[in-house]
Amino acid sequence: MYELDMLLHGAQALLNQPMALLLALFGVTLGIIIGALPGLTATMGVAILLPFTFGMDPLSGLLMISGVFFGGIYGGSVTAILLKIPGTPAAAATAIDGYELTKKGQAGIALGTATFSSFLGGTASVFVLIFLAPVLARFALEFSASESFALAVFGLSIIASISGVSVIKGLISGFLGLLLATVGLDPMGGFPRYTGGYTELFNVPFIPVMIGLFAAAEAFKSLEDPQVRAGMAAALDRIIPPWHMFRRQLGNIARSSGLGIVIGMIPGAGADIAAFVAYNEAKRFSKTPENYGKGELGAVAACESGANGCTGGALLTMLTLGIPGDAVTAVMLGALTLQGLQPGPLLFKDHADLVFTLFAGMLVCYVFMLVVGLGSLRFMGRILQMPKSVLTPCILALCIVGTYAINNSMFDIWIMLAAGVVGYFMQKWDFPASPVVLALIMGPMAEANFRRALSLSNGSYDFLYTRPITAVLLTIAILTLMLPLLRRLWAQRSAGGPSTINPAAGSSRMGTPE
Amino acid sequence: MSNAPAPGGKAGLRPQDRLATLVIAVLVMAVAVAAIIVAGDFPPTMLETDVGPARFPIIFAVALLVLCAILVFNTLRAPAAPPDDPAEAEPKASYGTVAIGIVATAVCLYAMEFVGYAIATPIYLFGLMWLMGRRNLLANAAIAAVLTALIYAAFAIALSVPLPVGSLFE
Repeated sequence: MYELDMLLHGAQALLNQPMALLLALFGVTLGIIIGALPGLTATMGVAILLPFTFGMDPLSGLLMISGVFFGGIYGGSVTAILLKIPGTPAAAATAIDGYELTKKGQAGIALGTATFSSFLGGTASVFVLIFLAPVLARFALEFSASESFALAVFGLSIIASISGVSVIKGLISGFLGLLLATVGLDPMGGFPRYTGGYTELFNVPFIPVMIGLFAAAEAFKSLEDPQVRAGMAAALDRIIPPWHMFRRQLGNIARSSGLGIVIGMIPGAGADIAAFVAYNEAKRFSKTPENYGKGELGAVAACESGANGCTGGALLTMLTLGIPGDAVTAVMLGALTLQGLQPGPLLFKDHADLVFTLFAGMLVCYVFMLVVGLGSLRFMGRILQMPKSVLTPCILALCIVGTYAINNSMFDIWIMLAAGVVGYFMQKWDFPASPVVLALIMGPMAEANFRRALSLSNGSYDFLYTRPITAVLLTIAILTLMLPLLRRLWAQRSAGGPSTINPAAGSSRMGTPE
Repeated sequence: MSNAPAPGGKAGLRPQDRLATLVIAVLVMAVAVAAIIVAGDFPPTMLETDVGPARFPIIFAVALLVLCAILVFNTLRAPAAPPDDPAEAEPKASYGTVAIGIVATAVCLYAMEFVGYAIATPIYLFGLMWLMGRRNLLANAAIAAVLTALIYAAFAIALSVPLPVGSLFE
């Protein structure tokens, strides 16, 4: 088999380049740190390191950048699970159940599961990249504006799944997020909407909002706790998840990795979307969907394998077609061209040796990620042993600095603070924050692609049902939105009366009937 | 926010929860109405095939109004929860501390614009630790200084991400 032979040759070539391996290790370690720090994303990490690759040989430079990419996507999960600070947007989905597991004293198992799931999802995506690149790249080309719109709607339909105890409150959060997402420049005409004359609002600052809603809100909540001195000592008793527990997640990881790979290939859809979609599908296939949102290990496994599966998918279209799947691969595309390599089918023909050595190196990067990740977890877990009276101020300082780091803007920090205050009240009255973040990610994608698709079809709405992928995605989206209602009706029929409240049906803990 | 189920299997609402939910719903409805009014001033699209900049915000705002109306209706209809058992009551939350913490954060941000990260952050950390019950002034000062330095080292030195210097020192 041609690909396997080339991969073996690539692995041999890689062994003769210890400096490239060392730089890959450095990249992965730096990526994990960058991912864990709020405000610093994998995109930023790759952009920071890009100038350093100018003087390197192509393999070393590209491997170091790949290491930052992979480590950055995984690193976000560490603080998401330990502190409910999603280091990266992709980790926002992980924070939902990951932090609940930490509160239950299962942070170690959650972190271990996240690490193994990230490794498996990422490794699977690199193998797909190696063996199926041309076929899958052609599939990705089928995605035009209408399919991207349908994918965004499908993503938005997940709001019902991540709404927690009340679907109505989740939908209100989601639509509030969608309304917030319209703040900024109109995607077609460039008209500034709801900006009040502030140029800083021309692009929705969703990372400051995310940091505020998740991390600052949680820190403000800690301030109301009279027992603030206690830390969560001994929370990391066990890091490697027991086999009987992890085995149950293998199907979930395989499915989520596949979803991540496909979503990664679609231009404009990144690891954040992959993580939320994987979360929803894991919940839908789960035998215990009512546990999602309350600390379900399957949710962590799904989000992490989905987000890391996205890496290979995004690289796939970038390398085979020159179309970056997300922001990180857009920067990586720049790195590739700076090294004198032109992405596209000819890359695999003219530079096959380099490409397959790079693929072998990417597999090694994921092994490094597993080793560095597992090795550092116990050290990172010591954070939990800090008294809350030290940890909470530290989290707030990190929120401020992390937000400033995005655009070097004080305005962004004020947005973060406002989001933190709103998030605190939302948390207090059971309005979930995740739908807001999801809507901020998906909303602009949905609107821009809908309007683009409408223009492409000369103002006709036919594209909603005449294009097969669009129709299928929209149908699944409608079914996903209806699922909680159908489950509730089913539960009522099974119980023989309308008065029984089944938590699985999405009924409100506060008793707000829907 | 725990509510005991009311007789008949339905969970009940405490008066304060009912009031808070209604206030939030009304606030969100006000935001939605404001969004619709402002969207009325958005320019019409120049393209025949486009829906214009106002269409999506209006759709989202109308959906919000409908959802909030449902929430208000459900909240008013929900049965009242029985009074909390004092023996099982959770420790009372200190909302004053939260308010002071939020104001302290705002003051820190305001100060940071003038004096920069290096001066505003340690004072902020020190103040928050004191607010959260740590009364050892020397230890607090040392921890605040070390945390400030660690964050500075991670962002400004290791990752070359500039931190606010403050207009006084620019």
